[in-house]
Amino acid sequence: MAEPILRVTNLVAGYGPISVIKGIDFNAYEGEIVGLVGPNGAGKTTFLEALVGNIEIREGQIHFLDKRIEGMSVMKRRKMGMVLMPQEDYIFPFMPVKRNLQVAAVLSRDEEKEESLDFVYGLFPVLKERERQIADTLSGGERKMLSVGMGIMTNARVILIDEPSIGLAPKIVTALFENLKMIKEETGKTLILAEQNVKILKIADRIFGLEAGKIRFCEKTEDLDEAVVKELYMGE
Amino acid sequence: MILDGLINGLIMGGILSLPVLGVAVVYGITGVPNFAIGLIGVFGGFTTWYFLSVGLPLAILIGIGICFPIGYLLQGVLLTPLSRKKEADSTLFFLITISFGFIVEGAIRSVFPKPTISIAFPRLGAIHIGDVSADGFKFVALFVAVVALIAIRLLEQHTKAGRSLQATSQNLKLATLIGINTNQVFSLAHGAGCSLAAVGAIFWGALYTLDMGTGWHLGFMGFIIAVIGGIGNIWGGLISALLMGMVMSFAGYFLGGVWQSVILYGIVILVLIISPRGILGSERSI
Repeated sequence: MAEPILRVTNLVAGYGPISVIKGIDFNAYEGEIVGLVGPNGAGKTTFLEALVGNIEIREGQIHFLDKRIEGMSVMKRRKMGMVLMPQEDYIFPFMPVKRNLQVAAVLSRDEEKEESLDFVYGLFPVLKERERQIADTLSGGERKMLSVGMGIMTNARVILIDEPSIGLAPKIVTALFENLKMIKEETGKTLILAEQNVKILKIADRIFGLEAGKIRFCEKTEDLDEAVVKELYMGE
Repeated sequence: MILDGLINGLIMGGILSLPVLGVAVVYGITGVPNFAIGLIGVFGGFTTWYFLSVGLPLAILIGIGICFPIGYLLQGVLLTPLSRKKEADSTLFFLITISFGFIVEGAIRSVFPKPTISIAFPRLGAIHIGDVSADGFKFVALFVAVVALIAIRLLEQHTKAGRSLQATSQNLKLATLIGINTNQVFSLAHGAGCSLAAVGAIFWGALYTLDMGTGWHLGFMGFIIAVIGGIGNIWGGLISALLMGMVMSFAGYFLGGVWQSVILYGIVILVLIISPRGILGSERSI
């Protein structure tokens, strides 16, 4: 099997005196969807923030594209090809939809921007219809589509998305997840999704179960018993 | 009398809107209130005055131009590194920028031979509107303020740097995550803000006189007016500057000059109590 594009060893990170992540081993391969599941407070967001360098880590190593990156800034990691779309405040609210997408491609060449924009509009036609609309006036589902579209526009090889389904109606979640699967298939990008919604099992290639800052299980989705995931959430 | 008050209020508001724009750009984007911005603008005014012998247009460019690197470096060398410290809060920035203002004041006193100047611009004669006549140059000042506002909006909408400024002011975390060099954006914004303050100071120096007091006055007035408009909200800042210009003008006519400050700051307190985020709203409150 090929080497993972992202490899994390014994990662410890947190805020103030508290370590939220307590020694995580993790990996992701090129062109797969990795689901990171766990209840509130498990450390999913902290883990993603530590991966992109938004918070400092206390112990451990992160290898991305065979380079150690734990000492690198957010900008350097972004230039190497990793981006995080956060759970809250994930758009530029007072810009039109199209400008949000264009700004997300700040590090791309002009021809790449056009190509990515066409792809995003093909994936989410509603964004094309509303390209002049101020982002803050979009519905919750449309905003999430915009956020995912912005992730694609960055042209990063690894896109981390924090809780893409939160606050969305079940039908919209299903459609959004189908789109995420399509992104993986058509672009070969690696998607790492922190999720609480069990529908993630339908699109992820592998699932990491996170509980109280530690990995409780790591399984291929086809081998995973859904009861194990439910137990993780319900504490049964 | 009402037309007279309206015209003078518009002109006063137009001039005040320039340092307001400076404050709005700097605080709106960096989140740091720079109370030295008026003094930096006055430094630009004194520099223009000093270089008048090379010709007015070039002297103005030098005066505005010198303020850009001052703001750029102040942000990049001092304020951005400080903002990363855990102890950094608004009190710390207040003390640091006030101290920097005193440094600029000392530099102006040391470098330039006079403490009070007035910048000689060519006079355009009086312009008459109805029964009211006003110095034509005052209308130029108002025109420049409007042009500066439109230029800022155009730069913001149509340049890569402008879009980065807009993105950073709307969502700093996301801007950083997607790869915008937000530290450079902060420095650019601070440089641009200080240059705008210089434009305001140069016009002030052409219409009235320019001294150290003007620097503090323009800086604080600019900050207060920007807060009333909705900090970081450029349109709000302009509307607020025009309204405050009217208030000062009419207070002067009906109650006399000594009451201008009482009325103005009374309104400021009232607005802040009723709407701490300003009349047009803002992401930030003071």
